[in-house]
Amino acid sequence: MNISKQITFIGSIGLASLLIFTGCSKQLYPTQKDFKQYHMSDAIQADPAVVSIYEPFKQKMEAEMNRVIGHAEKALTKEKTAETLMGNFFCEALLWMSEHSAHNPADLAFATKGGIRNDLKAGNITVGHIFEVMPFENSLTIIELKGSQIRQLADYIAMTHGQPIAGMTLTIMGSKAQDIKIKGQPIDDNKLYKLATYDYLANGGDNLTLLTRAVSRVNYPQRMREGLIAYVNELTKAGKPVNAELDGRIKIN
Amino acid sequence: MEELRSINRRTFIKQVGGLSGAVALGTLPFQVNAKSKKTKLTILHTNDVHSRIEPFPMDGGKYQGLGGVARRSTLINKIRQEEANLLLLDAGDMFQGTPYFNLFGGKLELDLMTKLGYDAGTFGNHEFDNGLEGLVKYLDHAKFPFLTANYDFKGTVLEGKTQDYTIFHKGGIKIGVFGLGVDIEGLVDPNNFRGMKYQDPIAVSNKIVKVLKEKHRCDLVICLSHLGYQYENDKVSDLVLAAKTADIDLIIGGHTHTFLNEPTLVTNLKGTQTIINQVGFAGINLGRIDFIMEPGSGKKQMSAYTYQVNPSIAESLLA
Repeated sequence: MNISKQITFIGSIGLASLLIFTGCSKQLYPTQKDFKQYHMSDAIQADPAVVSIYEPFKQKMEAEMNRVIGHAEKALTKEKTAETLMGNFFCEALLWMSEHSAHNPADLAFATKGGIRNDLKAGNITVGHIFEVMPFENSLTIIELKGSQIRQLADYIAMTHGQPIAGMTLTIMGSKAQDIKIKGQPIDDNKLYKLATYDYLANGGDNLTLLTRAVSRVNYPQRMREGLIAYVNELTKAGKPVNAELDGRIKIN
Repeated sequence: MEELRSINRRTFIKQVGGLSGAVALGTLPFQVNAKSKKTKLTILHTNDVHSRIEPFPMDGGKYQGLGGVARRSTLINKIRQEEANLLLLDAGDMFQGTPYFNLFGGKLELDLMTKLGYDAGTFGNHEFDNGLEGLVKYLDHAKFPFLTANYDFKGTVLEGKTQDYTIFHKGGIKIGVFGLGVDIEGLVDPNNFRGMKYQDPIAVSNKIVKVLKEKHRCDLVICLSHLGYQYENDKVSDLVLAAKTADIDLIIGGHTHTFLNEPTLVTNLKGTQTIINQVGFAGINLGRIDFIMEPGSGKKQMSAYTYQVNPSIAESLLA
């Protein structure tokens, strides 16, 4: 390689070569630093070469997100109240999944208000709406808890002013739960109950470490979001609307 | 465009001024001046882009209309025309956040990063959202290495698919880059990383930095970290890492979605300064750090450190 020619013709490579030429073992040190941050606003034009890469994906995605899978007669809302339409709908879907996806029907279902990320509005329900309800990659998990552990879970529900449940009823008395029934029967402290929830909560998320002490646990590959979509599809196929009722499963005394 | 103005105007105007002939060629930077022994290296970086391929929708949200990979491409192409020695790096959590990931599994994100010319990346916790199998499925769409020095994938489907570190040669500068991931226990479903072993990031760093400095004689050491900027408890963060290691020049951080108005300087074990930077999330910002490299001693390096922050940056972040 003719280094001197390189220096003459290509300056930037020339510098590198010059360093090699003049004894490159000398280390380089940063003697000055500068910083800038670019705010990516619409002042910067989109590179059409990049848009053309994602455009076909975008079209597929939008078609999927806009696909109507069901219909809600009324809005399923998630207020701060102890019992909500959206929470009831979500937990009924969990029970359905335990039966139809897991073939392991649960006695009760439990979720948290924080995990249900959006309402469902009245009208057409699309795949995109379900994504907004459950954007996370959580999967169905069925755990077995003793009646005494369910009682602790009920106290958690009372202390946090109500959480989404199905298959269970209770009355909140201050920070304690009373009159706890599973499938209409008073809770038996020594009996084992199957609870349908999702992995994040079974792993102790939302301060639910008591769920990590389950007697048994089965993880299912069924994603919650896909399970909800399947549930809505099933309702639609049966000619039923997406719906829920406030039935007093959580009472406040 | 305000953002595209050269940041080094004040510093390098002299050198550039003497190079009108070279500048006319359009691509030659200031260091072509053979009399100067200074070489400039430009680092561009992102973190936690979270599948934000298009800008945030105009829905009244806090970040509406911001971000977008096609804009990032335009900007990077422009900077590439101005700077000869450039590295484009990402600090993890490329995936999860829009249905693009849920529907296409990360393939598109990796295709686009390749198109933009990323030089290296690391794994964030969300890279594991589809399990090790889901991660390996489209990994070959990335034509750049993933650096995961403290994740041991031996015996898993990812074995041999990532590297601890890589070395770049830019304009005579030898740059060692390694990557660190967060302890994903509790962050990721155990089924999604079964068989992978997490190793202490500080012990791993001290080992690797030694190799980069002593064996490979790197001029500059950069860490791509998904550890997170700072914690209230004693969990290892970028601030802790910087203080408990030596010879890392720059930590490009992620995970905590921290919007730093300017990089943080931490005095490391050697008594020199380690730079930490993180630019929020979702591609709302693109970070840039320029180093001027000169031959000399470490002593000179310390005394000569200057740090400039473009005031327009802070303004744009307040907006």
